[in-house]
Amino acid sequence: MSLSLQPHRYALGVTLRRLALQPFSSLANVMVIALALAIPLLVASTLLSLQPVARQLSTDPELTVFTKVGSTTDVARNMAQRIERDYKSEVLRVRVITREEALAALKRNPSYADVLAVLPGNPLPDAIIVTLRGADLARRSPELADTWRKWDGVDMVQLDSAWVQRMEALLRFGNTALGLLAAVVAVSVLAAVFNTVRMQALSQRDEITAARLVGATESFVRRPFLYLGAFTCAIAAGVAIAASALAMGPLNGALADLAKSYGVEFFIQLPPPLWLLGFVLVVTLLGAFSARWSVTRTTRF
Amino acid sequence: MIEFQHVFKSYGRGVNALTDVNFRVAAGEFLFVSGPSGAGKSTLLKLIGGLDTPSRGVVQVNGQDVGKLPPRARPYLRRAIGVILQDAHLLNDRSAFENVLLPLIVTGHSPAQATSRARAAIDKVGLSGKESLRPEALSGGDQQRLAIARAIVNRPAILIADEPTANLDHDSAVRIVEVFRDFNRVGVTTLIATHDQALIAAYANRVLHVDAGQVTERKP
Repeated sequence: MSLSLQPHRYALGVTLRRLALQPFSSLANVMVIALALAIPLLVASTLLSLQPVARQLSTDPELTVFTKVGSTTDVARNMAQRIERDYKSEVLRVRVITREEALAALKRNPSYADVLAVLPGNPLPDAIIVTLRGADLARRSPELADTWRKWDGVDMVQLDSAWVQRMEALLRFGNTALGLLAAVVAVSVLAAVFNTVRMQALSQRDEITAARLVGATESFVRRPFLYLGAFTCAIAAGVAIAASALAMGPLNGALADLAKSYGVEFFIQLPPPLWLLGFVLVVTLLGAFSARWSVTRTTRF
Repeated sequence: MIEFQHVFKSYGRGVNALTDVNFRVAAGEFLFVSGPSGAGKSTLLKLIGGLDTPSRGVVQVNGQDVGKLPPRARPYLRRAIGVILQDAHLLNDRSAFENVLLPLIVTGHSPAQATSRARAAIDKVGLSGKESLRPEALSGGDQQRLAIARAIVNRPAILIADEPTANLDHDSAVRIVEVFRDFNRVGVTTLIATHDQALIAAYANRVLHVDAGQVTERKP
């Protein structure tokens, strides 16, 4: 073994011996940290699983303007031109779907074929689908809908993608909440590791003094405690991943019925392996940082 | 090798452990530091060992000014000095052998080299056959021998011991001082703090007497 690795090998041995000397206490620390980590991990898994679903849906708000039944298609075409002209900066696209096109589309769906067959004529109105753009659409969309609703020849205006926007807003809220939760858990992990290392350092006073007497540097003295913090957190992160994976079974079972009721297929899954590796690394570094902070403060004697 | 120039050491307000201390110790000397309890002997040894810094004045050890050494450099000074404190700070969860191994691990010796040097140190202090015992299983005298083995295993130029015979009977104390004498014979500068006048009378070439923070030379 290389000479430069000797002190690390020693520190590793000391760390493992300290963990083994107090197996129940070490296990309790790991479990407390693992449970704290499992909560944001589950939330993150849910949000990451939701993202592809949200991405598949159009998030550009669309307003559908229905003309009065009986009015000619020219009314709809004129209205579309007016919208394009007067609201140029707020409109991305305007499309007219004539009542004939709408009926033909409905007829292609076998579920409606029987109903449409018994109707005397075409009961559908012409529709103008307006895709909006620009900032503050959540506020602007209902305003535009109100304005256009008052126009002659307009029967009703429908805001189609409000629920998608709500879902987007919900995801944004979820991400912000996850950030805050992660911060709270990070502080809890810092506190747990800080206290564990502090207790260990106090109980190892003799060993620290002996090491200093024989010329140990502060890095040498602190290294086993850094390893202790990093090890505890790395193991805890692994346990948190395993616990989250186990929890997904019953959670997905319950979620399947809910998703089915909305006509979608959705299940939570753990983030990809690289993401999980990053999670373990960040938690390990957090443990080492907390341990360093604690041992530096505790061994000033 | 060791030089004190107008050294003062005080703790807090008005507690003067050492006051205007001046002396020199040449390489290879063997001397005792005597004086009543609380006189400042331990403080004197701690300053030499780089375990503390003077409040004022200059403490030179191995050509280095202890007071001016940055904290990061002090451990490297300590490696050249074997220190045996009144409380030996032996590690009771390790074997005698592992206790002696510690300084060699600190200085980054290879396992083979460390093993051979630790065995040699244990042999020199007369603890062969007791390597696997924990310190608490050793007698008071053997614990001191173990502390000496740990202090000398890195072959220091200076050996300082604070009351190493305090809890020993006279015969054991004599045997411990003999161990120190053996190291001094091969050139290790040795300072032993004690208030055992019989030992001083039997072994001292030179005595530094500490009383109320003042250091004076005394005839043995």
